Amino acid sequence: MSCSDVLDLVDAIAAGDLTPDAASAAHLASCPSCARALADAREIERLLQARPTPQPPAQFTARTLAGVRRARWQSEQFLDAWFNAALIVFVVSVVGGVWLLLDRSGLVAMDTVSRDAVDLVQTFFLATARRVVAELPLYAAATALVAGAVGIWWWAERGVTLWDE
Amino acid sequence: MQAVNERELVERCRSGDEGAFRELVDEYKNLVFALIARTVQDRSRAEDLAQDVFLRIHRGLPYFRGEARLSTWIYRIVANVCSQDAGRPPAPVSLDDDEARGSVKASASDRQFGDFELRDRLEKAIARLPENYRLLIAAHYLQGVQYEALAEALQLPLGTVKTHLHRAKRQLRQILESEL
Repeated sequence: MSCSDVLDLVDAIAAGDLTPDAASAAHLASCPSCARALADAREIERLLQARPTPQPPAQFTARTLAGVRRARWQSEQFLDAWFNAALIVFVVSVVGGVWLLLDRSGLVAMDTVSRDAVDLVQTFFLATARRVVAELPLYAAATALVAGAVGIWWWAERGVTLWDE
Repeated sequence: MQAVNERELVERCRSGDEGAFRELVDEYKNLVFALIARTVQDRSRAEDLAQDVFLRIHRGLPYFRGEARLSTWIYRIVANVCSQDAGRPPAPVSLDDDEARGSVKASASDRQFGDFELRDRLEKAIARLPENYRLLIAAHYLQGVQYEALAEALQLPLGTVKTHLHRAKRQLRQILESEL
């Protein structure tokens, strides 16, 4: 049995996971270098077992719960902000749409705002709508591409661990 | 913690009972903090990361299916948090650096038996190990953490955990031999 073979076993022997067989025991008895490695491994094992266990600070639980509350509050704020923004956009769109419809139909005279301003807003909405509709296939393709790439990345990463076999 | 109590605690946490989550933190804080502090070897960073672990637990509890034990799931979160933290540039550590390190405090008996310097060098050598080996050594030598639990948490076969642990200790021995 060579030194290299025995050195591979030294840490398992020191940890008590392995009992040296006759050949490795004989080698350890006759090879000062391997015997020294075993003694070092046993010393490291002793030190690791006696390693102090760090204790969390006294206020750890209170700080952690405060952190959880803060995170929850931030998350709710974020959702609220998005919800409010979406609501504002929706209300403005509905009011604007009704207003423009009434103006076009001629049922109600819109004298409070100049004709030019109404035409400008109408032109803007119509031009934007036409542009978006024309580009829809491109947007759909780009979204599918991004979703596909994210899906492949997720699929490739899902089984990855830190540890090699 | 018994499985029935564990399930009940998880259900109470899910229903938004803050007292239940406080119980969960109190139950696992020593284990989580010790694991992280031994892995990152910086007390203040360890506290931040341990709080991050509990934050993730809080966020993840609604999705915890209970297929694994709660402690196993928590070990996995600790491993993920530590591995993400390992992406940060590490502070240079020298075995000859005599500056006191936060994670190791000498007791009178340590000094009496001359272990303190050895322990200090051991801590510095551990800091040089790859992050996965550090976590493995941190977990294995904590009271109450068994090979089986580690293997389940790290999703590795039991034999692989033992092999990695022996490799980690061999590397540790080589670092100490080459530097001392």
